[in-house]
Amino acid sequence: MTNNLVTGIVAIAIGGIYFITAMLLPEMRMGDRLGPKLFPSIAGILAMLSGLVLIIQERNPAKRSKKADFGFVKNKEVWFKILLTTVVGIAYGLIMDSLGFLLPTTLFMLFITTLINKGRLVQNLIIAFLFAVISYGIFAVALKLSLPRGFIEQLLPF
Amino acid sequence: MQSIFANLALGLQTAFTLTNIMWVFIGGSLGTVIGMLPGLGPATGVAILIPITFGMNPATALITMCAVYYGAMFGGSRASIMINVPGDASAIVSCFDGYPMTKQGRAGPALAISAIASFIGGMIGMVFLVFLTQPIASAALKFGPAEMFSLLLFALVATITLSEGNLLKGLIAIAFGLMLSTIGIDAMTGVLRFTYGVEALNDGIDFLVVIIGVYAVTEVYKNFKDINAVYKLDSKTIGKVWITKEDWKRSWKPMLRNSPLGFIIGVLPGMGGSIATFMSYALEKNLSKHPEEFGKGAIEGLAAPEASNNACSCGAMVPLLTLGIPGSGTTAVMLGALMMLGVKPGPTLFTDHPEIAWGVIASMILGNIILIIINLPLAIPLVQLLKVPTRIMLPLIMGLALIGTYFLNYSSTDFIIVMIAGVVGYLFSKMEIPLPPLVLALILGGSTEQNLRNSMVLSDGSPMIFLQKPISAVFLVLAAGTLVYALAKRKKQAA
Repeated sequence: MTNNLVTGIVAIAIGGIYFITAMLLPEMRMGDRLGPKLFPSIAGILAMLSGLVLIIQERNPAKRSKKADFGFVKNKEVWFKILLTTVVGIAYGLIMDSLGFLLPTTLFMLFITTLINKGRLVQNLIIAFLFAVISYGIFAVALKLSLPRGFIEQLLPF
Repeated sequence: MQSIFANLALGLQTAFTLTNIMWVFIGGSLGTVIGMLPGLGPATGVAILIPITFGMNPATALITMCAVYYGAMFGGSRASIMINVPGDASAIVSCFDGYPMTKQGRAGPALAISAIASFIGGMIGMVFLVFLTQPIASAALKFGPAEMFSLLLFALVATITLSEGNLLKGLIAIAFGLMLSTIGIDAMTGVLRFTYGVEALNDGIDFLVVIIGVYAVTEVYKNFKDINAVYKLDSKTIGKVWITKEDWKRSWKPMLRNSPLGFIIGVLPGMGGSIATFMSYALEKNLSKHPEEFGKGAIEGLAAPEASNNACSCGAMVPLLTLGIPGSGTTAVMLGALMMLGVKPGPTLFTDHPEIAWGVIASMILGNIILIIINLPLAIPLVQLLKVPTRIMLPLIMGLALIGTYFLNYSSTDFIIVMIAGVVGYLFSKMEIPLPPLVLALILGGSTEQNLRNSMVLSDGSPMIFLQKPISAVFLVLAAGTLVYALAKRKKQAA
């Protein structure tokens, strides 16, 4: 499957779902009658139409785009790292409110440095610790921005 | 004319405080460093440095962001000159003659002319900016919803038609951006839209979260493939960071010629620094008596695009400040950050908060001066940063991006959005769907819809209102014109 074909299918699918949802929105009885559904309908149609033309263009061998290559197989290590980072990044945000800033940030930074800067544990520990402490110093202490306070922050005088 | 000088004096008064000067210095230095790093452009730089502006007053925040933007433009070419790897797309052209100069043992003059040309381009761009903003802002004050809708439509269309790449994919990116902008409670009727039962989406998606995701997080993901990149840099061979009389003689005219060109390109939506630099390079090569020297270390081949690039960044501030319409990815990020701080750029900024509008303009003069100080004497220590391995830089960028996300709304839901946006941005880059149109549409979607609906109410549902209003009709013709131009250009290229 070519790159443009994939893009066209994605555009039609997302545009289609969005358009159907837009059509289910209520109409107003007075004034701005089409109200909340007019603009979304236009956006949905634009996505579907552009996707359709892209697919039709792909039928012409002279204009055909290159084969879609997301590297799911060839670069599976990269994809593994992306997915792992995504999951850990989300987890980092979810635990921050209960555990405070310093501990989750150090742990997240240790994870990402270990993932990227493999085999240098001491260097990674130093980077993770310094990043958390310096950013806390800049944002919470110097710029006085509110950061979540966990049990470590409770022990600090600032 | 008198009012322009009075306003500029007000701006200088706002900008020249100790705090602002300090932030211009800090922002400019950080921007230079980020702009210098391969693959990281000004948009990513501004996106990950947004948190440092929180807690500042709006004028200082905007001044700091401009300094980061400007710094990134100054720094972008350092990596091009030293290691033949551009910091961002607008620094690609600087590789053409900058790197050959380094190979000839002339890295010092190359770094110097890059800073001098950036300074001259920036200052000339500033002059145009000072004289253009007031009339445009005054004219825009008279715009009603129909004119604003047509203008926004033109800006969106121009973003995809004037830039390179597949037109249809640009349209798809715009459609996706508009769709994202409609998620949440409809401000005009209170109807919940496209939340699919997810309560966290009721307030809509914060576009800054998406921006950080598609610029910073995606950039980190893209670099996962080249994690072990280490660039060889021999700083002993740089020599004196200054130019000879002969270098100046060859460079001053190209710098003066290309600064206005860069500025004009910057004003147009979608035509960013990369187009300005390529056009300037082509122009100089055509005008040169020695075109054969281009690509082999011709100093004017470096001076012209550098001047053009910085003038272009001044031009990009015109639509942002006067109309509230960002013309590039970086100005889109700046607009988003400003809206968070409660400032709405646009014509009313000049009437309601002239000290902010003119303070920013004045601060860019200050920024230019400070940045040439940073980039000339400190050029050698600065380029040492290129030795920092990618595997160390990437975690720091990711960390800053996530902390920045937290500060936006103090919401853990935003972490889900930012990480998903990062993956989607990566997938889009694989599908060659451009991200700047998506970001622009996401930011402008709300006001585009509001103006469309207000116009329809005013005209009792008739779309003819957009053609009956002369200014609106002009913008629609311009939008159609750019679309036709783009189609014709692509057809010619294909033939």
